[in-house]
Amino acid sequence: MSQEIHLPQGWEARWDGQSNAYIYVEQSTGRSQWEVPTQPSYGSSPAPQQSAPSSRPGRRQYPTAQIQQVYGGGGYDAQPQQQPITAPGYPDQGGAQQQPQYFTPGFGGQDAQQPSYGQQPQQPAYGGQQAPAYGQQGGYGGAQQQPVDQMNNQFQQMNMGYQGQGQAPNHGGPQLHSIQTVNLIGMQPDVSGLDAPPPPSLLPPNASVTASPHIQPDPSYQRCTLTSMPTTQSLLNKSKLPLALVMAPYRSFRESDGDDPVPVIEDSVIARCRRCRAYINPFVTFIEGGNRWKCCMCGLSNEVPQLFDWNQVENKQADRWARKELNHSVVEFIAPTEYMVRPPQPPVYAFVIDVSQQAVQSGMVAVAARTILESLDNIPNADKRTKIAIIAVSTSLHFFSLPVGATEASMLVVSDLTDVFLPKPVDLLVNLTESRPAIESLLGKLSDMFQDSHTVGNALGSALQAAHQLIGKIGGKIIALTATLPTLGEGVLKARDDPKLLGTSKESSLLNAASSFYKTFAIECSKQQVAVDMFLFSTSYTDVATLSCLPRYTAGQTYLYPGFNASRSEDAIKFATEFSKVLAMPIGLEAVIRVRASRGIRMSAFHGNFFIRSTDLLALPVVPTDQNYVIELQLEDDIKGSFVVLQTAILHTTCYGERRIRVITQAMPTTDSISELYGSADQVAIATYLTNKAVERSMSHSLDDARNTITNKLGDMLSVYKNQVTSSAGASAQLAVPDNLKLLPLLCCALVKHVGLREGASIPPDLRAYAQCLLTTLPCQSLIPYIHPRFYSLHNMPPEAGNPGDDGIIALPPALNLTSERLERHGLFLIEDGQNIFIWVGHEAVPRLIQDVFDLNSYGELQGGKTTLPLLDNPFSQRVNNIIAKTRELRRGVYRPHVYVVKSDAEPALRSWALSLLVEDRMDHMSSYAQYLTTVKSKVSLYV
Amino acid sequence: MGGEGMFPLIYSPRVEWTIADLYFILTPYLTFLGWLFLFAVLMAAVLLFTMVFFIIMFSDLECDYINPIDLCNKLNQFVLPEMIAHAFLTLCFLLSGQWLAFLLNAPLVGYNVNKIMAKNHMYDATEIFRTLSGHKKESFIKLGFYLVSFFYYLYRMILALISESD
Repeated sequence: MSQEIHLPQGWEARWDGQSNAYIYVEQSTGRSQWEVPTQPSYGSSPAPQQSAPSSRPGRRQYPTAQIQQVYGGGGYDAQPQQQPITAPGYPDQGGAQQQPQYFTPGFGGQDAQQPSYGQQPQQPAYGGQQAPAYGQQGGYGGAQQQPVDQMNNQFQQMNMGYQGQGQAPNHGGPQLHSIQTVNLIGMQPDVSGLDAPPPPSLLPPNASVTASPHIQPDPSYQRCTLTSMPTTQSLLNKSKLPLALVMAPYRSFRESDGDDPVPVIEDSVIARCRRCRAYINPFVTFIEGGNRWKCCMCGLSNEVPQLFDWNQVENKQADRWARKELNHSVVEFIAPTEYMVRPPQPPVYAFVIDVSQQAVQSGMVAVAARTILESLDNIPNADKRTKIAIIAVSTSLHFFSLPVGATEASMLVVSDLTDVFLPKPVDLLVNLTESRPAIESLLGKLSDMFQDSHTVGNALGSALQAAHQLIGKIGGKIIALTATLPTLGEGVLKARDDPKLLGTSKESSLLNAASSFYKTFAIECSKQQVAVDMFLFSTSYTDVATLSCLPRYTAGQTYLYPGFNASRSEDAIKFATEFSKVLAMPIGLEAVIRVRASRGIRMSAFHGNFFIRSTDLLALPVVPTDQNYVIELQLEDDIKGSFVVLQTAILHTTCYGERRIRVITQAMPTTDSISELYGSADQVAIATYLTNKAVERSMSHSLDDARNTITNKLGDMLSVYKNQVTSSAGASAQLAVPDNLKLLPLLCCALVKHVGLREGASIPPDLRAYAQCLLTTLPCQSLIPYIHPRFYSLHNMPPEAGNPGDDGIIALPPALNLTSERLERHGLFLIEDGQNIFIWVGHEAVPRLIQDVFDLNSYGELQGGKTTLPLLDNPFSQRVNNIIAKTRELRRGVYRPHVYVVKSDAEPALRSWALSLLVEDRMDHMSSYAQYLTTVKSKVSLYV
Repeated sequence: MGGEGMFPLIYSPRVEWTIADLYFILTPYLTFLGWLFLFAVLMAAVLLFTMVFFIIMFSDLECDYINPIDLCNKLNQFVLPEMIAHAFLTLCFLLSGQWLAFLLNAPLVGYNVNKIMAKNHMYDATEIFRTLSGHKKESFIKLGFYLVSFFYYLYRMILALISESD
């Protein structure tokens, strides 16, 4: 078949890998077609003479040359011909006179996209090489030369198309965000805007080598407080806007949310910059005919690895532009042995279970043992290497020997708590699969074993040390479940919750660790790749602030179950659900996170659960899914380029024994205008940043200081906006904010009233410390509702709400503003913040409503408090239950909110708790949203 | 070296000098005040070197030559000795009635005591990166302070020497 092709001058044949056929492109117009241009003339002359191959930019030249090398000789059915085209049946020739067009055949049907191509030059572009999802094909660089600005236009339009903003005006300048100023005073905030995506990142044209729609990460992976990067630190300082990355790189993958799995590069060809060690990404440039690539961060020219264009599976030349790392922002490389300190370790779980009298009586031990037992199949154990150890602790340590083949576990008691030793060198940490019978039998009777124990006291610190000794050689996860304060052995804690301190400036001392043991031990753990998860079940003070240090520095998580009592089924179900999700979580082991950025950008501070091992290296013994990290950025030098690249790399061992590197690349355009900075600000990311800063501040200074920080930062931003951007200096009755930040004041107002930061002497220190743990670890998706709860009216919800829609997804009622004005005396309302769900029942609720939802005769019979709504055989009850079920699974994370029924005229504590979530209201001496705006406005006018 | 005579000195020259030797050499020239400030000069020099060591270690941390855990373990050994040495020197000034020298040092003693009371005198590996700039600043200020006091003590020592020889 190797017929040589002769196409008339001005025509070119290109191989389209997707449809396995040639496309014929008229070089002068850029139009293409499937059909062979006209009368074929086979085998007469050598390969087509390209009209102007030499004048093309190098990186565009390369692919064609390569393609011709590979496919040029033919061997395929289609036989390209040359011929001047007259009038093929393509519409849209409008722009073809001046600016020739280029169509790719697969693109013909996409009307929406087509116009934007209409003005494009005949630049074939890597734009043509999009992911299959785009339905676009073919089109390696044509042989045409073209002015760069035309190229720019094309890319610009592509980017615009991707961002869903329609067609861009055809000018050469950079894209700008349009700023709309809105006035907030006297306006009800539009709470539905909280789910809106961040302002688009208007990248300059031709920033990326491919035009895949996935070159920017989903905001749930990584977002930045600004989607444009200021060029100088002084500009940033002047704008008063924070610059920080907000990321959840190990985000869970939920198909129900339409998540695409992270593309995995399996051939272990990892191209990295020699100098800055950045991974190759869509924003690099290929130079010297594609043999080298120029790093987008430091500008160094690097060699392209030899196997970069080689398909190692099929042993043939591969298409470079289809490589996942050039098409996707979020990719995972399978790391070769150079990235390993040791062979991938198995996942290891050590359970430290408090079996003191209080723990057993609350039923915690029984529920925990049963949950572990039921989750044994779900614990990541794909390659049957997972190891498990169980230590029960009261006044002494109880180890369990679980030898292979045994059906019974034998208990070994160690009562020396000061110098912890392991009673047996083997069989304490056992393979889950091999010792399954012994583990099952132990878990089955663990609770009964200690049922009659009357030991009061908990040597948690010593037990943790023992667990650390047990798994320290391998690393892994210690899961500690405790219902009492540690009172014996190492790390003894006292009940220090002096009510007199609450509400004073000394309160912040209760939020700091009481004992240095938990910090030094955390460092030991982090060194040995051990993470600690804390499950705390308190009936009284458990010093969450101190115990949460362990998860904080070892990248674990703290879970608190206040007043846990397993005899209440709600408590047991909540704990069992969350615990089993934690156990089934696909964790990453022995991880480090490093963020690299273009020259001039420096990471200056880090917030989240990890240990900072060096100036820019975060050590995480275990990466849990859906945990949030905030990284502050600083500009050391002025930034020169038109865009910058931020790249997060997380090197980890999956729980399936593979060393992997997850790389998240984000590009941002640069700007030197303050108004552009304001136009690109992301209110959700800024709120997340402020949350982390405030929590840090509340620990190092005081809660009062933390609240002031939030309000002052907001005031600073808005005053700069008013004076520098809207240029309406002087006093005014309005509070001007950019449209994209219009909910930031509401979020700030909600934040200063959040239980983690709220003023007042009535919040138990445990709850506050736990709320702060959540504030610093929840990803944006859960954090925003946690700060600003959702509020629905159920009694008059629209008919579609609560019923599955056409797509099978339960529709939620429209969210209401968080103000008690919306509460009606005869109504039924739902308030949820992702941790709790409150069903508010008005005291004049009609009996029918009570009957339908609660199966009770009247409002009087209704009991407030923690409950489970009955599922009744009427449509309304089903809809309410659907909404609750939907709410529980709405967000990523393990949390399963409790349902509380709140009667509008009873149980003042519960009632005021529910009302405290209505953040737009005035509450005690905390200002309402309107008052808060006035405060902010007065600060804004002050700065003039 | 008093009554040994010439002979032993010639045939067994002393190569090792001890504090006692220094004492015997200097005794004719130094009063108590002179001794005090000589001691102060030496202490200031030691403290000076400690601070230089701290600052070098902090820069090492910034350049990633040392990890925060090792750094804190190393530095924490020197924190209390440094404070005690400084407090002891101040105490000497107080007891000997050197009011100016005492007042010069008192604020730093107060600051150190306050830090110990608040239990944040030790370097914390988990917080070190967040507080690094503060620590560096503090070390530089202390370095400057010790340098100034070094020269002041030297000046006072010389003064004491001169007044003696007069």
